Amino acid sequence: MVLEIIVMVKQVPDSQEVVIDPVTMNLNRSLTRNVTNSADENALEAALRIKDKVGANVTVISMGPPQAETTMIECLARGADRAILASDRFFGGADTYPTGLTIAATISKIGKFDIIFAGEESSDSSTGHVGPGVAEFLNIDQITYASSVDYEDGYVTADRELEGGTETVRVPTPVLVTVLLNSNSPRMQTLRRKIDAVKKGMEVWDHDKIGLQPEWVGVRGSPTIVRKMRPIKERERAAKKIDVAGLGDLARELYEKKILKLEEE
Amino acid sequence: MAGIKMATPAAKPEEYKNVFVFLETREDKLVRPALEMIGVGKRIADKVGEKLYCLLLGGNIKDEAKEAVSYGCDIVLGAESPDLSVYRTLPYSKIISDFVKEEKPNIFLIPATRNGRDLASRIAVSCEAGVTADCTELDIEQDTRILSANRPTYGESMLAEILCKKHRPQMATARAGIFPVPDRVKSPKGEIRINSVKVDKSLLKKEVLEFKKKNAVDLTAAKVVVSGGMGLGKADGFKLIEELASEIGGVVGSTRPAADMGWISRDHQVGQTGQTVRPRLYVAAGISGKIQHIMGMKNSETIIAINTDPNAEIIKYSDYVINADLYEAIPALVNSIREEKKKLAPAAGK
Ligand SMILES: Cc1cc2nc3c(=O)[nH]c(=O)nc-3n(C[C@H](O)[C@H](O)[C@H](O)COP(=O)(O)OP(=O)(O)OC[C@H]3O[C@@H](n4cnc5c(N)ncnc54)[C@H](O)[C@@H]3O)c2cc1C
Repeated sequence: MVLEIIVMVKQVPDSQEVVIDPVTMNLNRSLTRNVTNSADENALEAALRIKDKVGANVTVISMGPPQAETTMIECLARGADRAILASDRFFGGADTYPTGLTIAATISKIGKFDIIFAGEESSDSSTGHVGPGVAEFLNIDQITYASSVDYEDGYVTADRELEGGTETVRVPTPVLVTVLLNSNSPRMQTLRRKIDAVKKGMEVWDHDKIGLQPEWVGVRGSPTIVRKMRPIKERERAAKKIDVAGLGDLARELYEKKILKLEEE
Repeated sequence: MAGIKMATPAAKPEEYKNVFVFLETREDKLVRPALEMIGVGKRIADKVGEKLYCLLLGGNIKDEAKEAVSYGCDIVLGAESPDLSVYRTLPYSKIISDFVKEEKPNIFLIPATRNGRDLASRIAVSCEAGVTADCTELDIEQDTRILSANRPTYGESMLAEILCKKHRPQMATARAGIFPVPDRVKSPKGEIRINSVKVDKSLLKKEVLEFKKKNAVDLTAAKVVVSGGMGLGKADGFKLIEELASEIGGVVGSTRPAADMGWISRDHQVGQTGQTVRPRLYVAAGISGKIQHIMGMKNSETIIAINTDPNAEIIKYSDYVINADLYEAIPALVNSIREEKKKLAPAAGK
């Protein structure tokens, strides 16, 4: 049986050019370009490398508005076999809980899966919570923050980058793997594949098709709400100018104010 | 849809009480973010007159349970088994979810470390809770006992305040290096409840084959950090940074591109994708002050910038600005400090 791989992707505002509306304190979406979340490109590449090695069906799925089509086509053009966008006005405003639910329900609607890949986090929300949430909904094991991933005979072996070092783990499929940003170099889209991708196109599934009730998803299914947004006020600092001739005075001041201490603990 | 739990019924908030924190360990020793969770958890519990429960899992955790109590934990809920000596998602999330379902905490805080995030969202789904990721400010509203969970967003330019009104527990992961490690309490009197547990085989299919420790430099605990950036111009520049650091009892930090260049190892990197530091003194030499670096050091008590560019962004984050070539300024600063120490040393020796 051929290996079934799912890759979770998200379209995000280009972090280089985020524009905040000064009145609503929210993202000005009309002034911000949308791109594929970078870590998700690494997730797709990890999937495609397994496909190159042992053969696999690679399905990319996303939850998002219709304009995420550009991301879905891009993924097909890089080598994915199928693209499904879970899209519905009821899905809007979801926090990580209904997002995980919607994606998990979409995956189980697809049917069999062996490995689910996702990026470590999205650049716009930076929670890293959706991948593990999906794994919990599907009741499968997970490997997060993977810097390298390999598959052989029903097992995924991966290195996880943790604060104190690198952990190597081995897990039988099915398993969800989140892939670190920049952990591989995603392949280019070729012109040939791009034409095929546009021809193939994506499927759009709504709540009904996936089998979800409107009140389970989107803003209504979200346990958390944003009460307010405020600009982060930095502490005002004096930026006192010191020239090289004044460094003796600076040294005295640092010890006087106990910013430096003779005996550092 | 086999296996998928759908709607999330709201909880009865009045049935939920007390504050849970997860104590992360490495080789059965508490890591620093665990202590940070005790600090913030205790503050929140005290504000509403509730108890702080610390969840501790591992192979041999009796000593660390006492540690937790010495930092102010009221009740340690422990699960001990050789199968728990390394963190693995499934056994940890199962055991912790069971604790949550049994004890019904109002609030549950987990460090936003990699394993903390690996865990938090699984528990939130399994317990039908709301979770806010990577918080940098946490507080509780006294009358409603609602958690005010604040997290930076839009490239750290904005702070979003997030509430979870109907679901319990109210969960949050808290960014490491932000919340202070508490002082030890004078006469600790917490209660320790450790159970030996048997972990179901089906949860143990993940094998941890190896752990390669980084000889990690812990910048997060440093009182003084001296960091160098691309302005050093060459790997050798870090010798100068080291000289200043050792003169003032500090440790060496760097920007990401300086680490990318191989001038210094990655574990010295400060910033969004490095460590978050809050020393008493941070010296930024040859560092422009891009937001990804600022994020990791802006909470330092005092900041000194050494930069040739009078308009560098770092300046507005600085208390003192030395607008000069670092190759001139640092040796001169080292000299001034030596002189100052000579003046102070006899006084200190009395
Ligand atoms: C997703 C992402 C994550 C990132 N994470 C991090 C992170 O964790 N940490 C981090 O630091 N960066 C991070 N970056 C990179 C960040 O955007 C900046 O590129 C980086 O911080 C700049 O490093 P720098 O200040 O050393 O170099 P530059 O920006 O090149 O600045 C060099 C400075 O040195 C000054 N200078 C030059 N010569 C001298 C001299 N002789 N004496 C004194 N001053 C001199 C210059 O005036 C200039 O201000 C990240 C970027 C991205 C996109």
